[in-house]
Amino acid sequence: MIKVEHLSKSFGQNEVLSDISIDIEKGEVVSVIGPSGSGKSTFLRCINLLEKPTDGVITVAGQDLTAKKTNVTKARETIGMVFQHFYLFPHLTVLENLTYAPIKVKKLTKQDAQEKGRELLKRVGLSDKEDAYPNSLSGGQKQRVAIARALAMEPELMLFDEPTSALDPEMVKEVLDVMKDLAHSGMTMLVVTHEMGFAREVADRVLFLDQGLLVEQGEPEAFFSAPKTERAKAFLDKIL
Amino acid sequence: MNLDFSQIVPYIPFMIEGIWVTLQFVIVAIIIGFIIGTVLALFKIGSIKPLRMFADAYTSMFRGTPLILQLMIIYLATPQLFAYDISPFLSAVLAFGLNSSAYVSEIIRAGILAVDKGQTEAAVALGVPYREMMIDIILPQALKNILPALMNEFITLTKESAIVSTIGYLDLMRRAQVVGANIYLNFEPLLFVGLIYWGLIMVLSLLGKWLERRLSVGD
Repeated sequence: MIKVEHLSKSFGQNEVLSDISIDIEKGEVVSVIGPSGSGKSTFLRCINLLEKPTDGVITVAGQDLTAKKTNVTKARETIGMVFQHFYLFPHLTVLENLTYAPIKVKKLTKQDAQEKGRELLKRVGLSDKEDAYPNSLSGGQKQRVAIARALAMEPELMLFDEPTSALDPEMVKEVLDVMKDLAHSGMTMLVVTHEMGFAREVADRVLFLDQGLLVEQGEPEAFFSAPKTERAKAFLDKIL
Repeated sequence: MNLDFSQIVPYIPFMIEGIWVTLQFVIVAIIIGFIIGTVLALFKIGSIKPLRMFADAYTSMFRGTPLILQLMIIYLATPQLFAYDISPFLSAVLAFGLNSSAYVSEIIRAGILAVDKGQTEAAVALGVPYREMMIDIILPQALKNILPALMNEFITLTKESAIVSTIGYLDLMRRAQVVGANIYLNFEPLLFVGLIYWGLIMVLSLLGKWLERRLSVGD
């Protein structure tokens, strides 16, 4: 589903990612963890080209996104993204947030888009909020709407950039529950997170990044109980 | 003191007519200024360098010279340069529209830059093309933030419109002068149109407040 080959990214002189290669299968749930500044968010943002890679090839669903002739805007339709700070459209209602892109980009009729939107709101448990504006929602509710908004485009792949980091502790669970449900439904997911519980419980694989390098990867159980590298060990010692 | 307001009574319909004459070109100028201003703002934040330079030079020129000079150049120099006998109305609309667009472009540019960058990223991540993103997502949020500044610009334009009286356009101001010359009393007609200007600005302010309330849904 995702094939990353020799990905590097620099901001000026500062190399944030160096030579990362990885394959992710369809339906796989992969957690990306690492200390702050390790480049994990940049790595995620390179996958849908929100950041332009300095070097390397990124192939998503068989399409080379880094090729010059690729229509990146079109390709992004198949890649859903959820941000730490939600970024819902504040001037649109919850339902309009969900139907905007399907109507404008996928050319769905308003009726079809609304039907689909309501279905998704039901799925994330927010059916009663369709006419509310984002600013009247709690953080957890906003993030669930953001997930539904991304799903409304029927992506083949979902990227999550620290989806629970901006939430009050008591709202983390409701968002993680939605993500778990999504993982069980067979969605391919790439999740940058500080929620080690989620990484351990739900992920099929954990990637550990440090200083722009993919230092270690493996199954969560093995990684958390017996990390192979010193750096991963030091990181886990600090947070667990 | 010899005040005699009864003297202006026969001229009231004549002066009232000036409201429409003034509004006519002010409205057209505001619309032109807003459209050109939006385009210039998009040039300024865009990535195409020649367009950016053009927009910057344009703003610098129209903000850097007196409006009355621009009006005179358009009205007096156009016949000389292009052998075209330009009407006072067209001169006024052009001068005010072009001048206003320079200010409006700066206001809109600031408004766009003040919208959270995450909004752009969210739209981009959903595969929304640039044009739709600007029209549906970014500009509506920018407009809400800049509405007070924009209203201010429209109010200034409405008031400054009085300088078209210098090219013989029969607006409110000019009519007051004509009446003054006819009845040899200046204070009364000037006060009368002064009140009308004030009333117009009041209506404009209320309109702005109403718009602001309407746009603040979701807050």
